Amino acid sequence: MALRMWASSTANALKLSSSASKSHLLPAFSISRCFSSVLEGLKYATSHEWVKHDGSVATIGITDHAQDHLGEVVFVELPEEKSAVSKEKNFGAVESVKATSEILSPISGEVIEVNTKLTDSPGLINSSPYEDGWMIKVKPSNPAELETLMGPKEYTKFCEEEDAAH
Amino acid sequence: MDDVQEMRSPRTLHGGLEARHSSPSYTLGKRRTDHNLLIPEADLKGLGAELHYTQRGGDITFHGPHQAILYPIISLRSIGIGARNYVETLERSMLEFASVYGVKARAGHKGETGVWVGDRKIGAIGVRISSGITSHGLAFNIDPDLKYFEHIVPCGIADKEVTSLRRETDDMLLPSEEVIHEQLVSCLAKAFSYDDVVWKEDPSFILDNQEEYKD
Repeated sequence: MALRMWASSTANALKLSSSASKSHLLPAFSISRCFSSVLEGLKYATSHEWVKHDGSVATIGITDHAQDHLGEVVFVELPEEKSAVSKEKNFGAVESVKATSEILSPISGEVIEVNTKLTDSPGLINSSPYEDGWMIKVKPSNPAELETLMGPKEYTKFCEEEDAAH
Repeated sequence: MDDVQEMRSPRTLHGGLEARHSSPSYTLGKRRTDHNLLIPEADLKGLGAELHYTQRGGDITFHGPHQAILYPIISLRSIGIGARNYVETLERSMLEFASVYGVKARAGHKGETGVWVGDRKIGAIGVRISSGITSHGLAFNIDPDLKYFEHIVPCGIADKEVTSLRRETDDMLLPSEEVIHEQLVSCLAKAFSYDDVVWKEDPSFILDNQEEYKD
C-alpha cells in the first residue's frame, strides 16, 4: 500500500512538471515527506485548498496533498454561478472511497465560473489538482483575505507537521 | 436509543463513538442513487422499512436489527490522517474483528470500499467529513434479515451477494450480540490507537470536543 501511494504521488509530480512548463506556474521546490507537490505562485489554506489570484479573478481548487489523502474522487458537488462563497465556509464537496468531504473556500466572493468538466471527469482532481482539476473561479469581495493564507514554503511545512502527527 | 462512548488516548484529542440501533431502513448517500432501490418507495411501508437521505458518501444500503452500526466522531486533523486512510482504518477494524471468528475477510478492491468474504459483502462504509470531523461510519452484518437486501442493488454493486457473521460462521455458537458489539468496538478503538473506551451518559461531550477542533 505504501509503495502504491509513493508511485501515484510521484506520477503526479512528474505530470505537474510537464504541464507547469506550459503555464505561468513554477514547479515545486522541496517536496514534502509524502512527495506531494506544492506550487509557487499560489496561496494555501490550512484546509488544503489553493488559490491562484489573477487580477480580479481567483481560481480555487484542492492541493496535491489533499487529493492524495482523499483517494480517487468519484463525485464532485459544486455551487452555482453567481452564488456567494465565504472564507472558511463550505462551498462544495467531493466523494472518494465512500466518504464525502466538504471543501472550504479560502476567500469570500462571488462564483463567476464553475469547472463543469468535473461532473463527467471527477478524477481530474486527482490527476491534475492545480490545472485541469480547478473547481471554481471567484470574484474576491475582500482581497485582503489573500494575505491571511499561507505561501508555498509555509504550506509545505504545514503538511509535514500534519502528517507527522500520525 | 443510541449509545455514545468516548475513545481516549493520552496523545491525542478524544474521539466519540456512537453505536446506533436501527429499525429497518434504507439509506441513500449524497449522490441520491435512488435508482438502486428496486421497489417503489410506496412499498417500503409494507416491508416495515423507511427511506432516509443522508449526506454521507457511498450508495444505497440497508440498516436494521442485528447489525453493528458504529459512527466514530473523530477529528481527522488531530490524528493527522485524511479520508482514504480513515476509511482504510475502518476496513481494517472490521477485518480484524472478522478474524476473531475465523472469518477470512478482505478489504474491497478499487471502487468497492467495504469488507468482503470472497464476493459476499459483510461490512459497509459510508462517511461524511465536515470541517475535518467524521460522521456516519460503518455497518457490520452480525445477523440481519438478509432478505431486505434483495430490494436494493447494495452499495450500487450488482451481482454480488450480501452476507453476515452468522452465515459465515455456519454452526458456530456465537456469543451474545452485546459481546460481539464490544469486540468490534474494541477492534475499532485499537485500529485508531485509542487506549481506552468509556461509556458516556451525556453525549454533549462530543460537541465540546468539536469546539476545540475549530481553529
